[in-house]
Amino acid sequence: MAAALAIAIHPNSSLEFTCRRRHAIGMSVKHIYVLLLTPLLSITNAVAGADEYTLQRQQMISEIEGDVEITAKYLNKKSFDASVIQAIKAVPRHEFVPPDLRAEAYENRPLPIGHGQTISQPYIVALMTDMLQPEPGQTVLEVGTGSGYQAAVLSQLVAQVYSIEIIEPLAQATTRLLKQLGYNNIETRIADGYDGWPQHAPFDSIVVTAAISHIPPPLVKQLKNGGRMVIPVGTRFQTQYLTLVEKDMQGKVTTRQLLPVYFVPFTGGH
Amino acid sequence: MFKLAGNRYPTAPLVSIFILSAAALAYEVLLIRLFSIIHWHHFAFMVISIALLGYGASGSFITIFRRRMLEHYDVVYIANTVLFGLSSIACFIAVQRLPFNALEILWDRSQWQRLFISYLLLTLPFFFVANAIALTLMRFHKKISLVYGVDLIGAGFGAILVMVLLQQFTPVTMVRVLAISGIAAGLFALLNLASANRKSIASLLFLCMLAVYMTPQKWLELRPSEYKGLTQTLQMKGTSLLYSHSSPVSQTDVVQSTFIPFRNAPGMSLQSKAETPEQLAVFRDGDEMTTIDHVTDRNALEYHDYMSSALPYHLHGSPQNLLILSAATGASILQADYHEVPQVDAVEPDEQLSLLITERFADYFGWNRQQSKVTIHTITPRGFAASENSYDLVVMGPSGASSGGSAGVHALSTSYDYTVEALQSYLKLLAPEGLLSITMWTSTPARGNLKLFTTAVEAMRNTGIGHPENNIAWIRSWNTATLILKKTALSPEEINSLREFSISRSFDLAWLPGIGPEDVNQFQLLQEPVFYLTARSVLEEHAKDAKASFVQQYKFDIRPTTDNRPYFNNYFRWSSFEEFLRMPGQVGISMTGVGYPTLLFTMVQASVAAVVLILLPLLLVRTGKDKAGKKIVAGKRKNIIIYFLSIGLAFLFIEIAFIQKFTLILSQPLYAVAVALCAFLIFSGLGSLYVQRCMESAEFSTIPVLLRRSVLLIAIIAILYIILLPMLSSKIMALPESLRIISAFIIAAPLAFVMGMPFPLGMATLQQNSPHLMPWAWGINGCASVLSAILAVLLAMEIGFNGIMLCAVILYLIAWSSNRM
Repeated sequence: MAAALAIAIHPNSSLEFTCRRRHAIGMSVKHIYVLLLTPLLSITNAVAGADEYTLQRQQMISEIEGDVEITAKYLNKKSFDASVIQAIKAVPRHEFVPPDLRAEAYENRPLPIGHGQTISQPYIVALMTDMLQPEPGQTVLEVGTGSGYQAAVLSQLVAQVYSIEIIEPLAQATTRLLKQLGYNNIETRIADGYDGWPQHAPFDSIVVTAAISHIPPPLVKQLKNGGRMVIPVGTRFQTQYLTLVEKDMQGKVTTRQLLPVYFVPFTGGH
Repeated sequence: MFKLAGNRYPTAPLVSIFILSAAALAYEVLLIRLFSIIHWHHFAFMVISIALLGYGASGSFITIFRRRMLEHYDVVYIANTVLFGLSSIACFIAVQRLPFNALEILWDRSQWQRLFISYLLLTLPFFFVANAIALTLMRFHKKISLVYGVDLIGAGFGAILVMVLLQQFTPVTMVRVLAISGIAAGLFALLNLASANRKSIASLLFLCMLAVYMTPQKWLELRPSEYKGLTQTLQMKGTSLLYSHSSPVSQTDVVQSTFIPFRNAPGMSLQSKAETPEQLAVFRDGDEMTTIDHVTDRNALEYHDYMSSALPYHLHGSPQNLLILSAATGASILQADYHEVPQVDAVEPDEQLSLLITERFADYFGWNRQQSKVTIHTITPRGFAASENSYDLVVMGPSGASSGGSAGVHALSTSYDYTVEALQSYLKLLAPEGLLSITMWTSTPARGNLKLFTTAVEAMRNTGIGHPENNIAWIRSWNTATLILKKTALSPEEINSLREFSISRSFDLAWLPGIGPEDVNQFQLLQEPVFYLTARSVLEEHAKDAKASFVQQYKFDIRPTTDNRPYFNNYFRWSSFEEFLRMPGQVGISMTGVGYPTLLFTMVQASVAAVVLILLPLLLVRTGKDKAGKKIVAGKRKNIIIYFLSIGLAFLFIEIAFIQKFTLILSQPLYAVAVALCAFLIFSGLGSLYVQRCMESAEFSTIPVLLRRSVLLIAIIAILYIILLPMLSSKIMALPESLRIISAFIIAAPLAFVMGMPFPLGMATLQQNSPHLMPWAWGINGCASVLSAILAVLLAMEIGFNGIMLCAVILYLIAWSSNRM
């Protein structure tokens, strides 16, 4: 049987070849096509079409929505904000993972992205995004760009995302990727996130995904009154809990430690 | 292949056995070191435990191929020594090349395959060693006790030798050394041979040694997980490794960063205007970052006043002297310097850390500023607490990196620093108005700090403080909590200072005399104010004389820790396990911490493997007849299993319990492991040699008598020790170091001597009745040793080390009752 070749153009970005007899096409040829066509496709965000990942993404959303129930009690809501779910739906997660892990891109799990970093579990990304309560017109700072996925999700919801990464090669690769994918409202830089980005401060919200021994005072300072900062704590493959820093309208700062699940530490509730 | 003069061995290759056993034990210790650096300690524990099942596998293998292997004993023996040497280095290289990520194991199924391959590869070296020894035991069955004794003594020397060599050489160099030693063991065996092929074999062995020697360094270089702190830090722009040192207990690495400051200030207040000075990062086994401050003047230290650990300095007007328990890389010394304490004793058991600030980076740290008033003592906090000194302030912690990052990896390690007895000894060091201050990392949900609190209250009550609620204060920052204990009630002035200190720094009050619910949970909001609830419940509970209801209701184990059950970092409770398992997204594992589930999982794997290895030979071996041609009845087989399983389990139970007892007595965990292993293996070896003498000078009929007496004697001595050791320990702890080491050897000697007898006596009995089952018994004993090491930790967490000793006594009694093999 002759190999039937189908070309699928993603609504957001690149090109994928699917082939009933995949191995009939040399990998190098495939790469060349992708290399040639990828720049052209950076403008295809608006192009709708059959997306082999659409179904997977939808399944991932269902999983996330199912997971929300386990946090519902302390989030005080039964579901994440519809706009957050919409943003997750709009971002092609498979573009943010290494090519050999694309098949697993929409599993509800963290994945390695090289340099000892990971792309967070989609549920955690959704949870953190929801905790920030993003609104159109807002400015968000992200400390720890990593794969760029969190920034991409936020960029769907706010006016401008500023993102700082400390690992140079990772920052360069992600910046290139975000540009290719057409995320024009994300600005990145290679720097120490501790100092924030004073030129663009104050921020409506801040996400810190770097390991820290204390909450950086410069970041608190750069947070608007009424703003929120989220800091996930844990190992690279395990978010143990989240710290939510809230600055009220008078500038008083409180922190809140939240588990990614609802949990009462006493037997039989309290 | 080579044909050696199989039946012309004049004597057993004892020198070779000695070297081989020493190398195998050293290799085991070395692998734990290597995998602790590459991965994490709990993972190393799991992998090496399973790999040791190579001993069990060897028993099964020889049972099946016994006749053929014994026919060609000489070749097979030498081949196994060489294979040990070669596989020890080759398997390590291969395992390092597997793209295995321990952190991803719960997410990615392919990691399981890699883990399984790691097991298989690392089992091989132990399998070959076990083959060589077991075959020698059978080949020289009249000298079983002699061979076994030399095997044990060799292992004892190996234990000491690896500790000494790891002080001098890197772990990677040691891989080469041990591989060459294994092959050298083959060469020594060759000396006993009378064969025409001796020269060719020797040349081949030398070639193998050369191959090991020539192995490219690059192949052996350690490839630590890319998710460890050191690996990640070194990816940052402007970072470089300044210094590296490897010791038998840890690898220390110092990193500088010229581009991005480390800014390590655990739990620093959000109200701090002070900045952290330039710092060097110190990693232990590639993780758990601490820092060394670059001190130019006192102003650089101001940030130390914005930590929760600065509280005692604000309560005590002008402390004249201070004791720091676990000084690590000097943060507490600098905090004391900022608060102008004139005299400081700092205790740090790891000399490598102290040397960083007093010698190697002394200028950077500003040791000149400190040395006139600070004395550093290389001893454990418990060891130092046995002194009669008196202090205005005694401070401790926080140690290592935030628990948020380490995720319960220390659950399996014992610590005598935070037990009820430890806190009592620290309280004794306080001057009448002195304060004991302990700072610890917080976690979500709260665990460690709550356990510290229950432990502290118990310690205070044991010290005779009737109303500890008046003598305790507790505050918390974003990720640390500081507990203050005083022998007398806190004064109104002290309470005022405490409130002022906390509010000005946005720290939360968790307990102080007169506290109310409205005072708590103001800045770092917890879903439930569990710190306050714990304090209130534990302190009120005594007044009401209710039975520990709060502690029992809590979903983590926060019972007070004692010297008998010193697992401070284990919070696992079976009653909560099901709930954690039901949590989606692998969240449950972060609740239980990885340590305890790893231990459980290791136990399950080892048990399954052990059952297979023990039962497999029974299915495959054709003959079920004894030496006289009579069919071996099932009852006898059962007795063999029970006997060798019991003595295998019991031996390690006692050895592990003694490592713990010695940790306390010797005040140095390293000495404890070295002395306990060395004493137990060498004295057991001597016990085995004694059996050899007895057997040579007596009739066979005396063996069963000797066997029954030896197991009974062990049980009696062990019971005596359970009663006497706690009393002896406190007396010995006050002695000088050399006397403490000698005392430890003296304590171990009689018990270990008798413990060396049951195995060779059992084997001698089998040799008389069913020699073909000897390798099977060897395998059972090997499996039992592996299970024992895991089971001992699991049991000790529940019933303590005295409970473990008691279990060993029961096991020896079971062995006594099943000696009719």
